[in-house]
Amino acid sequence: MKTSTKSLDWGLTTQRLLAVAALLAIWQVIIWSGTLPSMTPGVAALASSIGASLASATFWSALAQTMTAAVSGWLIAVAVGTVLGLLIGSVRALDRSTSILIDFGRSFPVLALMPVVIMLLGATAQMETVVVALSCLWPVLVQTIYGARRMESAVVDTVRIFQIPALLRFRRVLLPSATPFIATGIRISASISILVAVGVEVLSQTPGIGRQITLAQQAQRWDSAFAYLFFAGLVGWSIASLLNFAEGRILKWNRQNND
Amino acid sequence: MAIQAAPEDVQVATKPLLQVQGLTMSYGFGDSENKILNDLNLDVNDGEFVSIVGPSGVGKTTLLRCLSGLIQPRSGTVSVGGEVINGPHRDLAVVFQDYSRSLMPWMTTLENVAFPLQGRGVGKKERNETAEKNLAAVGLAGQGHKYPWEMSGGMQQRVAIARALAYNAKVLLMDEPFASVDAQTRFDLEDLVIDLQATLGVTIILVTHDIDEALYLADKVIVLAEKPATVVDVIETGFGDHRDQVETKADPRFADARARILHRLRDH
Amino acid sequence: MTDTALRSAPKPGTGTRARRPEAERVRSRPAQVALNVLQRAWLIVVVFAIWWIASADSTNVFIPSLESILTSLGRDLFNGVIAEGAAYSLGNLAAGLLIAVAVGIIGGLILGETKRLREIVDPVIHFFRSVPQAALVPLIIGAFGIGQGPKIYTIAFACMWPVLLNTIDGVLGVEPTIRKFSRVYRIPRGLHFRKVVLPAALPQIVAGVRVALPIGITVMVVSELFAANKGLGFYILNSSATFMVPETWAGALLVGVIGYILSLLFVVLERRILSWYFKSGAK
Ligand SMILES: Nc1ncnc2c1ncn2[C@@H]1O[C@H](COP(=O)(O)OP(=O)(O)OP(=O)(O)O)[C@@H](O)[C@H]1O
Ligand SMILES: [Mg+2]
Repeated sequence: MKTSTKSLDWGLTTQRLLAVAALLAIWQVIIWSGTLPSMTPGVAALASSIGASLASATFWSALAQTMTAAVSGWLIAVAVGTVLGLLIGSVRALDRSTSILIDFGRSFPVLALMPVVIMLLGATAQMETVVVALSCLWPVLVQTIYGARRMESAVVDTVRIFQIPALLRFRRVLLPSATPFIATGIRISASISILVAVGVEVLSQTPGIGRQITLAQQAQRWDSAFAYLFFAGLVGWSIASLLNFAEGRILKWNRQNND
Repeated sequence: MAIQAAPEDVQVATKPLLQVQGLTMSYGFGDSENKILNDLNLDVNDGEFVSIVGPSGVGKTTLLRCLSGLIQPRSGTVSVGGEVINGPHRDLAVVFQDYSRSLMPWMTTLENVAFPLQGRGVGKKERNETAEKNLAAVGLAGQGHKYPWEMSGGMQQRVAIARALAYNAKVLLMDEPFASVDAQTRFDLEDLVIDLQATLGVTIILVTHDIDEALYLADKVIVLAEKPATVVDVIETGFGDHRDQVETKADPRFADARARILHRLRDH
Repeated sequence: MTDTALRSAPKPGTGTRARRPEAERVRSRPAQVALNVLQRAWLIVVVFAIWWIASADSTNVFIPSLESILTSLGRDLFNGVIAEGAAYSLGNLAAGLLIAVAVGIIGGLILGETKRLREIVDPVIHFFRSVPQAALVPLIIGAFGIGQGPKIYTIAFACMWPVLLNTIDGVLGVEPTIRKFSRVYRIPRGLHFRKVVLPAALPQIVAGVRVALPIGITVMVVSELFAANKGLGFYILNSSATFMVPETWAGALLVGVIGYILSLLFVVLERRILSWYFKSGAK
């Protein structure tokens, strides 16, 4: 299903660049036509403020703050979600008992809790991490449970026949067999982590990219607001690509195994 | 292997290694109860090669799962070395029908073969040596670094056999082990199993729906039929230790036995 | 660059319940059903009981007792304060989702059917999809104000990407034989889209909407928490700003419950729309 052309296709690259150029041109035309509110920046203003951001310490520290909170929350979620998920998914009674709670948790928009969380923890980086972790937990948990549940019945039989002890089974059978699903959960939660971190910053004015966007907008510096937005997208995109790539490398056994 | 005596005599001489008594098995309860096995009795001696043959869906896999302790029969017992089993047992190893799924794709071939030993707490060096030795025994020397999915179906099945051998159980249970490989590979694997049994002296119970295979491999063929399944015939093949895909299958006794089994299956 | 690295949500069926091979449906007596419900529900009851007891005489002003939370929730539910907000919020959500689904499906069908175009815009799509949706909120509200329109458009923009990507995936997954059939019988283009490609891609599309729904709810709440004069988010924000702590909790809890109910409703809807898919046992 996923084919990749390894050799660089120059025609395609050019066309892609042209597509981006066309998009920018349309943007500029819209700006000139005056359909958008007057403060929206044109292409030139955008480009220069993207450049300016790269040289600004504020930008880099905001980026670092956002990334720290996003990554640490994400890591916590991955660790907790994987262990809990394997446990729940492999113990039937636990699976049943927790199913409603987990369905509830996963459909809970954690950002709605922001005012409550701010009351409890204050508008701090630590609070941001907690909210990110809470949001990222669900995809990891749900995917892991699913992965642990659907362990191949032939593998289950094999493990029983050879009387593999519990800990070894957990480490060498359950965990690897659920890894493709865990990986999906990890990938989904990575993009959620950035989204939530920025969301928290927008809502609580915790330092970071989200706060910078709000500040820039309030200061009528729309060009820098857009530049920050651009970088936020770039970071999200890089993380997604990176994880995609890593997943392909680490799970090379799984590619052969796709039915 | 060479025990050719009638079952009654054997029982007097030595106690059978694996004994099935009054085994009954159903799926479901109450109105939806589906009785599969009815009052099966079966003796397998140490070093014997027994085939269980029967039409598709008769309950062969169910029987093998009872023998291996993976499922509990509704009544009756399975005992190994005089000990009634109530779950997987140290002396029983299984080669599954679905070999490609029973090998773990995230482990190399060597790790797969060594895994049961790891489960038993054998040290890394020793278990790798044993695994390597058993891979060599099934003709896969030096292939341990490959992943199962890098191998052909026949090779994968050899790995599954090596894994069961490495576990060093007294009884090897095999469920249609060669059902999904091509004819030539199948003959090779059959001969491999005969050789292994001759050299290692392991007891083998092999389930198949292929009458020729059952006859060619076994010292004793047990025919299952009817619904619920019962033993409708037991045939001592008497071909001795030497088997050959062409010669043995051309043996008049082979044709007779095959006709007898076919009749049995048709009558029921 | 990859041709179609358009990763998307799993098809329905995956991620929900896995099949249990052995002896699951042995007995279906009322007792069995009751036992089943009990097995699934006890933990919820325990959690709430613990919360209730532990918070009963809380001295922390920010952690009100569950009793007071539920009391204020009940009161505001019945006096219409919440109902009005919920109607506004959910209306926005529905409108935003509708736009997202329409644009996503049409765009996805076009991109899925034209390989070259898809390859060209692939990086652009992935970039836009990666923009953290919440970051748009201050910009859109700053530019267009706190009215209903900007909120709907933000939701639509955020929800569009999963629908679009999944539609593309679904179109690419259409059986080549079915496609050939359509070509051989010279099915007109419009009909081909409506009767062949769309139904075949529907399971994936629905899966995309399933992903979009919680994103939509999140964006809805965030946009209201950021700045609004109506809606559920406004209820929460307003309560917290006026130090009505139980109400703040109640609002957050209610949004969670609404999210849960919507996801349940969606499963029901999914079963209806895709009944042929589930019946055919496709995996
Ligand atoms: N887990 C199960 N639950 C309910 N019924 C089952 C189950 N497993 C098998 N059966 C039924 O028991 C009967 C015997 O199945 P079994 O798999 O033992 O047959 P088999 O002889 O191994 O067939 P085959 O040659 O096709 O492998 C079949 O009718 C099957 O439908
Ligand atoms: Mg079978």
